[in-house]
Amino acid sequence: MAQGTGRGESLSIWFFVGIMTLSYGIVLFPYGAWEWFGNHEPGTVLNNLHPTFWWGLLLLAFGGFYTFRYRPRPGDKDVA
Amino acid sequence: MQPLAAMLFFQNRQLTHLSPVDMIILLLYFAVVVFIGFYVKGSTNTSEEFFLAGREMTAWIAGLSFVSANLGSLELMGWAGSAYQYGILATHWYWIGAIPAMLFLGIVMMPFYYISKTHSVPGYLQLRFGEGARGLAAISFGFMTILMSGVNMYAMALVMKVILGWDINFSIWVGAATVALYVMLGGLRSAIINEVLQFILIWAGAALIPILGLIEAGGWTNLKAQIVANTHSIGYVHMWSTLGHFKDNPMGINWVGIVFGLGAIISFGYWTTDFLVVQRVLSAHNLRAAKMAPVLGAAFKMAVPLIVIVPGLLALGVLRDPHTHQLIHLVGENQVDAAHPYSYNEVLPLMLIRYCGPGLLGLGITALVAGFMSGMAGNVSAFSTVWTYDLYGAYMNKRASDKHYVLMGRWSTVIGMIISIGTAYLVMHAASIMDYVQALFSFFIAPLFGTVLLGMLWKRATNWGGFLGLLAGTTSSIGMWIYTNFGTAAHKADALAHIALSRDAQPMANDMFRALWSWIICVLVTVIVSYMTTPRTEAELNGLVYGATVIPDDGATTIWQKPIFWACIVAVVFVILNIIFW
Repeated sequence: MAQGTGRGESLSIWFFVGIMTLSYGIVLFPYGAWEWFGNHEPGTVLNNLHPTFWWGLLLLAFGGFYTFRYRPRPGDKDVA
Repeated sequence: MQPLAAMLFFQNRQLTHLSPVDMIILLLYFAVVVFIGFYVKGSTNTSEEFFLAGREMTAWIAGLSFVSANLGSLELMGWAGSAYQYGILATHWYWIGAIPAMLFLGIVMMPFYYISKTHSVPGYLQLRFGEGARGLAAISFGFMTILMSGVNMYAMALVMKVILGWDINFSIWVGAATVALYVMLGGLRSAIINEVLQFILIWAGAALIPILGLIEAGGWTNLKAQIVANTHSIGYVHMWSTLGHFKDNPMGINWVGIVFGLGAIISFGYWTTDFLVVQRVLSAHNLRAAKMAPVLGAAFKMAVPLIVIVPGLLALGVLRDPHTHQLIHLVGENQVDAAHPYSYNEVLPLMLIRYCGPGLLGLGITALVAGFMSGMAGNVSAFSTVWTYDLYGAYMNKRASDKHYVLMGRWSTVIGMIISIGTAYLVMHAASIMDYVQALFSFFIAPLFGTVLLGMLWKRATNWGGFLGLLAGTTSSIGMWIYTNFGTAAHKADALAHIALSRDAQPMANDMFRALWSWIICVLVTVIVSYMTTPRTEAELNGLVYGATVIPDDGATTIWQKPIFWACIVAVVFVILNIIFW
């Protein structure tokens, strides 16, 4: 159901939430992996915890779930 | 709510720079918000679609947008700085200064706003008190809103200059053009979608600071111990136990100011009558969603101190120079010098840089940009609605077609944004204007709450009572502000002592007590004038006032669907949190 974007639209507001966080996960997760496994960690406090990698993974999972759950499907159009 | 001139501590320096991966994250955000504007344009053809998002938002969307409209970057950075300056007392602005009012709006006031089918708060005043009250509220709100948008715009440009070294003109024009484009295309619908996105982004960008900070500090208990050791005071880690007297806490305020000034007047005034936030709830698709939206918003609001207050407290406990391991001492913006290069208001960027490398830094900066742009969009969309319905449509062109009003809404968005840009440049050349603009905004909030509250709950309140009460409350607030802000230092101290009833009161107490007095004056004048003038018949008040209105069933069939049930849950959690952090 295309919540929030208006009658006649097929992309829900939650789909936008999903696609945005998924995109960030797609950017951050591999970048965090490169930092971790390539020994390119930035000089930040607690960089030994590899926050970019784990946060990227979390965004990937969150965004992936929302994108899949609220993906446009046939019949969504004309539903508010 | 923060003194905006405080942002002017910024000097010609740059805290960090963005790497390519940060730029990708920021550009992705801009691409999505502009796409949303074009995408929803096809669904914003009627005035109800453009100004009220078609009244088809679910409780979750309206609730998130409701709380997000208030969660601008100025709020984030300002209150993080206040948390450093005043400690955990700053949390009062998120809990007692918000939660009771949000629940009251949802359970008591929303039915009247919603079933009266009003399009705005001034619109409700017109239905209840006539044109005088509507005109006064609409002019003051429209004027202040557009000025606030300009202040927000300038603040964003200034923050970007300091953190990243960006040119101020570039930030102002790119931010303004993007916001004008998506609001002009998609109206309130576009603004709401972006506010929901912004809420998610702010959490995605800022939540790592408290998580990593608490790990570094060794947990909450250890953090409190470090703060007490560093500040030599328990006043920074207790919310209520130090509010017995003005002198016992770093804020210089007492519990009367917090409970009655902040909790009962300022908070209720802002959350229940400021059209910027109420407009989001009016977009709900049915009465139950309209009642649930503020309740859900309150639940989310209670969690916000984690990303705003905790970073400020962490700075008090763990912010040390990486080379010397000495505690970094932040100061007021007027005291910044070579020995103390950072001010309170830099807490959030400093903590962001401390824990976030490339990529995560871009996410944090994107969250700040989203917050600023969302703040501008909120102001401009509310301005466009009030201008079109309550000024242009009410006094200049009453009989235009719906299509004409939508066109006026789009044009007023663009013109409003141009005025905002002018305000931004005005502020750039006269910084004190920022504080004046914010003070002006505060003049109307407390009296307006008195007028709307009596209008909804008291059948005897008359048109003249409502109008003159609002006028008297506003005028008295302006008078008290002038009384306490101009003159010699000795006069100001005397004035503050008179308004806040104590010689130990600090400026923060002044705002609380000024709001309290102006509300009392508004209510007294409304009551006295109402008893001297003729009331409206009960039939005329149907749908507008408690006792003259049969409130329709909201359709809830189980306890889980009842807004009052969830409001009680939120209220219980609110009480427990206050006891835990007593």
